[in-house]
Amino acid sequence: MDNHYLLGIFAVMGVATFITRVLPFVALTKAHDHPLLGRIGKLLSPMIMVVLVCFGLTSLEIESVTRVGLSVLCLTIVIILHYFLRNPLLSILTGTGVYVIGVQVFGL
Amino acid sequence: MFGYIPLGMAFGVLFQTLGYHWLFAPLAGLVIYAGSAQFMAVGLLGAGVSYAEAFVATLVLNSRHIFYGLSVLGHYPARGLSRWYLIFGLTDETYSLITAKPLGSLDRTPYLLYLTGLNQSYWVSGCALGASLQSFFAFDSRGFEFALVALFLVLLIEQIHTMRERWLLAVALVASTLTYALIPGQFLLVAISLCLAVLIVRLRSGGVNG
Repeated sequence: MDNHYLLGIFAVMGVATFITRVLPFVALTKAHDHPLLGRIGKLLSPMIMVVLVCFGLTSLEIESVTRVGLSVLCLTIVIILHYFLRNPLLSILTGTGVYVIGVQVFGL
Repeated sequence: MFGYIPLGMAFGVLFQTLGYHWLFAPLAGLVIYAGSAQFMAVGLLGAGVSYAEAFVATLVLNSRHIFYGLSVLGHYPARGLSRWYLIFGLTDETYSLITAKPLGSLDRTPYLLYLTGLNQSYWVSGCALGASLQSFFAFDSRGFEFALVALFLVLLIEQIHTMRERWLLAVALVASTLTYALIPGQFLLVAISLCLAVLIVRLRSGGVNG
């Protein structure tokens, strides 16, 4: 395990994260005068979330038909729970819990 | 707000699968302090990506923060150490808590500092707890990676509620599928650029009234 590499990645990601947070405070103090940027931001954010969900799915190592079924089931659980109850913790833990049980107990 | 402890624990457990000392998990919570980016870091570290790649991927992943800053700009203190810490700590969760109540015009700095600091302490504790438990008991963590998908899906549903142009979501889905089929190595960068390109073209032609 290369600790220097790990710390380097942490530092790089910490700096990049801070840049995204500080940018509007240092560069866009007159942002309310910039309606196009505001609209891009509002509409792009949910699009990025769709891309991120897909990114997450690609990291799941879905290799069997049963795993596809399990993934679809758990996605549906999260969507239904969150659409109606709007409790982030409940939605995430239930979806992940069912997925973990499916993988570990039922070997899906 | 208490959601940060179990989510932090999920990160800690996943992080521990990489084989580093468990104390590095709370360190990530201290210096990076971004839930989705830390989950992504596990994947990036596992794949052994370059610093440049990690930098770009984090910028892209966290670019949504730019728009959080825009909407709380006027409520943050103009200078001082507290300003910088509040900016550093503007996570998804903190942003949603801050904007859940109207901020008013009086000085909210002590309240904002309290909220932001408490959130980060929960998050760092969660990271430490998950990683140390996994390190000492080495339980089966297969399947925990679904937490990342569930997290993003929840954030997506939160945003859909206030979104008018929902066909753009289909555009994002097509962009993701195409990118995965053609250029999977640069997935985040290419897919999000495609989304941005379509969005700008449509806005310029006046086809969107978001």
